[in-house]
Amino acid sequence: MNSTKLSIVDLTKRYAPGLEPAVDRLNMSVEEGHLVALLGPSGCGKTTTLRMVAGLMDPTSGSIVVDGKDITHTPVNKRGMGMVFQSYALFPHMDVAQNVAFGLQMRKVPAKEQAKRVAAALDMVQLGHLAKRKVRELSGGQQQRIALARALVVEPTLLLLDEPLSNLDAKLRETMRTEIRSIQQRTGATTLFVTHDQDEALDMADRIAVMNGGLIEQFGPPTEVYERPNTHFVANFIGQANFLTANVVSENGPATDGERYYKVDIEGLGTFGAVGHPGLTGTHELVIRPQRLQASLHAPLGANSITGTIERVSYTGDTLGFSVRAGERLLHAQLMTSSADMPRQGDTAHLSWEAADAYIIPKTPQGPAS
Amino acid sequence: MAEAPLFKPKLKVGKPLFGILVFLMYVFLSAPLLIVFIVSFDSNQFLSFPPQGFTFKWYELLPKETTFMNGLRISLIVAPIVTLIVLLIGVPAALALDRFEFKAKGALQSFFLSPLLIPSIVLALGLVLLFSPLRLTNTYAGIVIGHVAITFPFVVRTTLMSLATSDTSCEAAARILGANSWTVFRRITLPIIQPGVIAGGVIAFIVSFDEAVISLFVAESGLPTLPVNVLRYVENQADAAVAALSVILILFSLVVVVIVERVMGLRKALR
Ligand SMILES: Nc1ncnc2c1ncn2[C@@H]1O[C@H](COP(=O)(O)OP(=O)(O)OP(=O)(O)O)[C@@H](O)[C@H]1O
Ligand SMILES: [Mg+2]
Repeated sequence: MNSTKLSIVDLTKRYAPGLEPAVDRLNMSVEEGHLVALLGPSGCGKTTTLRMVAGLMDPTSGSIVVDGKDITHTPVNKRGMGMVFQSYALFPHMDVAQNVAFGLQMRKVPAKEQAKRVAAALDMVQLGHLAKRKVRELSGGQQQRIALARALVVEPTLLLLDEPLSNLDAKLRETMRTEIRSIQQRTGATTLFVTHDQDEALDMADRIAVMNGGLIEQFGPPTEVYERPNTHFVANFIGQANFLTANVVSENGPATDGERYYKVDIEGLGTFGAVGHPGLTGTHELVIRPQRLQASLHAPLGANSITGTIERVSYTGDTLGFSVRAGERLLHAQLMTSSADMPRQGDTAHLSWEAADAYIIPKTPQGPAS
Repeated sequence: MAEAPLFKPKLKVGKPLFGILVFLMYVFLSAPLLIVFIVSFDSNQFLSFPPQGFTFKWYELLPKETTFMNGLRISLIVAPIVTLIVLLIGVPAALALDRFEFKAKGALQSFFLSPLLIPSIVLALGLVLLFSPLRLTNTYAGIVIGHVAITFPFVVRTTLMSLATSDTSCEAAARILGANSWTVFRRITLPIIQPGVIAGGVIAFIVSFDEAVISLFVAESGLPTLPVNVLRYVENQADAAVAALSVILILFSLVVVVIVERVMGLRKALR
């Protein structure tokens, strides 16, 4: 384990000369057996990246290395990949078993073994009883599973999934999420998974590559991407976030994982505790997740607190959200509901946080942030 | 509201009126067929209406009428060859038009469909002028080239229609699973567009079989096809043998269409 399965080196795709590159010098390396989510907004180059790895599209420059071999110029039908398309792309004129067997036929697997492996693959997705069905007689979720079985039956070098869940309804999406993940872990297939759904990525992936405008903004495990965003974009795209512009005043000693505590100054509000990379100076953005902000009616004992007026309360059953106005800033806090006395609209509330929950985004913001 | 009809007359009184109109249109369209059918059993020596007596003699006469039999033989040689050739070039042409992006795409598309818009007499005249120095007049090659030219747009159109509704990621999926270009075409693309290809082929066959103008210009004296000989026949004697022949041909077309419809659904393909 822990060997590199796929390396993408300076991969660039320009659809036409003069156009902005759709994928811009992208670098990534994926460990064997990992599921990596390519996560980003529409048009950021996720599909383009996936299609280049599949071999359906030639990169403008850069290279793709699988198992130490450069496959950048290997034709698509010689790459041995498995791919599930957004539309599933099942062959409409074949039945379920013929669909799944197609890859094995191309590999000239003997008929007996074909039948065995097709049956095993169909059992894996729990659709063994549908082997003789016509494709158009299947529901969306069933088609999805057949597409997965068809991709996995050939024991692909890489499993590529392009938004495989986006055509399913919300409930089924959740079930398929767990199912795909468990099948992926059982087969140990190294997987690239394209999605624009952050929950999907956080839930399923070993690593998340957050993409924006053809670039990877951050590549790391879900917790890291969520807790320690490298950029404003990442913090904003994944989960909800409060942003505060802060000036680093001083370093206050070591925190966990090689990070440092800092004293920062937020204009008009005073000085606060925060955490970040070593060696930070100057102006930075501070990110605090809403559920890490404590809201209370009494001034807390600790120093990290902001006082403001509650503008809006939103109740979802499990959680209670507050929008708190402090000067010109609007901060969002989220609490678990309880039967205890909760702050109400118009109340003066104190928002406080642990220094370890206020993360200093290492990159300096482009301009003055709001 | 479930199953909203595509075309709905607005007024209540419009409904019976609309029904009558549709009925009249059907009558109008099928009247010639009906008359031909009736006349073909008419014992009168000359083509006329209304009929005077009942006879099978025109049908009995047909096999002995060498003009018809020769024409039929030539037509039955030409039409299948035309169908085969026009499919062999029309299907790839449609594929190229649908799947590739290139500069002249729009221009080429209209060019491919242009024979539909040019009067066949213009095309026929052009072909004669072109074929004479090439010694292609009165040859099978000449007729076939002419017929391929006029049937080509049909095949391109029906194939393009099938391609438009097909999912290109099926082909990508097959390639990823290890299929080379030829296998992808044979095992994935062709079966998916098959309805359009067959519809195009059937139309090409019928058009070629039915075509008179080009055949007349290009090969009247040497290789008269059935429609050409029918024309000549009617010029000389106006008896009901032609009507009997027409009935046979209508039945023949009907059988072809029904078989194709039964086997793979022509209606679906033409939609
Ligand atoms: N065939 C093409 N020709 C020109 N530009 C293209 C082509 N395909 C994609 N693009 C552009 O490249 C960029 C990246 O597209 P891509 O399909 O990879 O985005 P994506 O991240 O998959 O988005 P989505 O979430 O909407 O699927 C977009 O700006 C898109 O407009
Ligand atoms: Mg996409």
